Amino acid sequence: MKDLRFKSVRLLLLVAAIGIAMISGSAAVWTYAEEGGGSGVPEGFKKSDLPPMPKAEDIEAGKRVYFTKCVWCHGVDGAGDGPSADRLWPRPRNFNQGTFKIRHTASGELPLPQLDLFQTVTHGLPGSAMPSWEGILTEDQRRQVIAFVTTQLVKDRKFDDKETETFTILQLDNIKPISPSKESLEKGAQLVVDKKCIECHGVNGRGDGNAFNLKDDWGFPIQPASWHKCWNFRGSRQDPYDVKNIFRTFSTGVNGTPMPSFADNTTIEERWHIANFVQSLCERGPNGDPLAIDPLTDKPKINFVIRSGPIEGEIPDDPENELWQKRERRIVLFGGQITHKPRNFVNRIDDVWVKSIYNDKKIAFLFQWEDRSKSVAEGKLPFQPTEVNLEDYGIKEQPPKTGEPDSIAANQNKYTIYNDAFAIEFPVKWQELPPPEKPRFFWGDQKYPVDIMKWEADGSLKAFTGTGWDQDFEERDDFEEKMKLLKAEWKDGLWTLIIQRPRKGDYDEDTYFEAGKYIPTVFFAWDGHNGDVGRKNAVSAFYYTILEPPIPKETYIYPTLIAVGVVILEGWVLTRRKNKKKGKI
Amino acid sequence: MTWLKLVEGYMPMQMLFELAFCVGVFALMSYLLTKSGMAIPRFWQGILFWVFILLYLKYRIYPPIPFSVRAMYGTVSLVAVFMWMSSNEEDWKKFKQPILNVLDAVTPFHKALRTFYLIALPVILWGFSYTSFLPSLDEPIELRTVHPAPPASTKVHGKTFVLQTAANPYRVNAEGKYDQEYTNRLITEQSMGRLLKPDANPWDPKAEGYLKYVREGGEVFFQNCHFCHGDNLNGRGLHAFAFNPIPANFTDPGTIAQLQETFIFWRVAKGGIGLPRESFPWASVMPPWEQHLTTDEIWKVVLFEYWHTGYYPRTWD
Repeated sequence: MKDLRFKSVRLLLLVAAIGIAMISGSAAVWTYAEEGGGSGVPEGFKKSDLPPMPKAEDIEAGKRVYFTKCVWCHGVDGAGDGPSADRLWPRPRNFNQGTFKIRHTASGELPLPQLDLFQTVTHGLPGSAMPSWEGILTEDQRRQVIAFVTTQLVKDRKFDDKETETFTILQLDNIKPISPSKESLEKGAQLVVDKKCIECHGVNGRGDGNAFNLKDDWGFPIQPASWHKCWNFRGSRQDPYDVKNIFRTFSTGVNGTPMPSFADNTTIEERWHIANFVQSLCERGPNGDPLAIDPLTDKPKINFVIRSGPIEGEIPDDPENELWQKRERRIVLFGGQITHKPRNFVNRIDDVWVKSIYNDKKIAFLFQWEDRSKSVAEGKLPFQPTEVNLEDYGIKEQPPKTGEPDSIAANQNKYTIYNDAFAIEFPVKWQELPPPEKPRFFWGDQKYPVDIMKWEADGSLKAFTGTGWDQDFEERDDFEEKMKLLKAEWKDGLWTLIIQRPRKGDYDEDTYFEAGKYIPTVFFAWDGHNGDVGRKNAVSAFYYTILEPPIPKETYIYPTLIAVGVVILEGWVLTRRKNKKKGKI
Repeated sequence: MTWLKLVEGYMPMQMLFELAFCVGVFALMSYLLTKSGMAIPRFWQGILFWVFILLYLKYRIYPPIPFSVRAMYGTVSLVAVFMWMSSNEEDWKKFKQPILNVLDAVTPFHKALRTFYLIALPVILWGFSYTSFLPSLDEPIELRTVHPAPPASTKVHGKTFVLQTAANPYRVNAEGKYDQEYTNRLITEQSMGRLLKPDANPWDPKAEGYLKYVREGGEVFFQNCHFCHGDNLNGRGLHAFAFNPIPANFTDPGTIAQLQETFIFWRVAKGGIGLPRESFPWASVMPPWEQHLTTDEIWKVVLFEYWHTGYYPRTWD
């Protein structure tokens, strides 16, 4: 009896051992099939079931959300042809084909509705007209509208079609990132060359490699992203300095665009090196820390004061010179000029970095902005440089309703090319302005004229007087000869411009630059390739230029007096305390 | 502390309750510590509590309050802590004993501490006053009137509109008669998301009258205005980030919700350049829309803005 029991235990153990061996063996096989390169699943991805289909009541509720918020851009049938579409570039997404840019799924596959589309609706697509709907729509409403879009407006594909659809999902949360060490960045820098990233994104990653020949799946021109402005990455998920977002985009590709997935021809490690390198190019603050991004606009926060620093001697013409290098740079953001005709709905220049220094006689500005091409007009322009009303020369704004073939997206890269240009504007006689009054931001007005310095890519640097948005510029007497173009260079998608001018000229025409005073300043930029000329330009808000004044003597005297006072007070307290104690004794 | 949200509208009450709760917890902690023989000295109790208040003011209150206000609250709470500490003679003695110990340098440690304070105090104060005397190069503060007094009448495309008597010609019922009540019934719901009423979709091909005009106004809005005022009319459009003053947020109860429809009509038609001095006409990029739109289009856009935000225009009363 005892023997039998012992035997049965042994048998049980044996069976258990075989069972464990079998299970673990099949698990090994299963893992290989799912993640192994041999089965066609790229490294880091995993095959998954089709996502669950939404409930009918959610689809119905989503329709209500769609026709309140989305229809205006994406259109009644989701074809990306709502009222706004013809004046937008990129155009609103056409849902019908089921092509979605930002995904965790492999290249060409549908997105995950509950993850990818939910994040897109929640965070928007920065750099495009798609805003973040967080805080506007509830989480339920966002899920409902996705239910409606995926079932009713995606027409050419079906999320539940087992025959044609597969879902191969990037296991982003299970892949350990590689820290952006110096070594990793170096490898990344080499890989972006080897993997031909720079052919489109440019040797410095400013999106200038193959900027004007690329088209999306619908035949509209499309630009490679600039790696220096990570806040404009569509897939940044409002967390642009997170390298994971770049890793994801690089692994899955951007459906509908020429950006492929690199999952098949890079290892996970290589992808991290590239993502680290791309992320390292994004603009940063003076100490290398990420720029503060305004969560409401997804752009860097603006400081409206441009500080000009004092130097001794001549102003250097090399931006690498120490005097320029140690100056703090400030970002100036541009919007399209959308106040007066012809309005510029798509401004290709959206920011400029500004530095300024001054000596006893002169002040200089250093501007650096991204522009994917150097544009210089061919031949002589039919209008004068002073002319601003150019409608008669065919400079017109995009009509509101044209249909796709004539939309602003289709018209990109087809414009007559004009000079790239940059201008900076100050009020004349700002000393006499009754605060807070200023000349009108757009080239002044009759009451308060403005001093405009305008540089064009043909090499000209001119001094104009502006007296209104629709008034032709007037040339100023002899100021042009006193200004100096220290540098104007386009290299790898970046313009560098240094302009110097006297701090004083003719009081009635030229702005005086006095130290310690806030001088209103407006910036203008023209991208010749965008057909920008005259009023079709990019414009900033009012900024202030201030020449840092020398520190006044009072700044040292008063604190010293205070400190001496404190020392006396201390002595008094201690003596008193001593006397009191003595008295007690 | 993002996981613990301050409820909008209940901020002051919630804050007081939280503070009361914290005081309760501190009292309990102090009681338990005393019982277990690890009582915190009176002096440190006071200091810790004051530090807690300062940290609470800085990191918990949302939206953040400026330093000057915090400094004021900090001073008031310091006085309160003193009153608490000196509420009876014995406590007061306990409280000031550590200070007197340092002043009298009773032990070598206290002497070192005293020497440190004697030197550090003037140095720190010198630093503080130096930074406050440094010329400030921050952006000057300029206060702008967002909703200035409107003119009595405005002339748009050759026609004069008296603001007190003009009415939106598209705020009409199915029979084409001006009908505020009818249109108010078809406006979006005033709840999160502000969705359209289930049976009032402007995109319904059968939509007539008011709802049809809403759609036409929306088309104009999304061809012209959304660039600044945004897809949700909240002032966060594609170009909004570059401009100052920032575009108006129509979903804010402080903008179109408290203005008359004719006021909006005037503002839209004349734009930034048509503002009076106190509203900074020089800085506003708002176009004078009479340069771009017809009178009818302007009225329809105004109609759409009220529909989409779910607000009823204010009437002249």
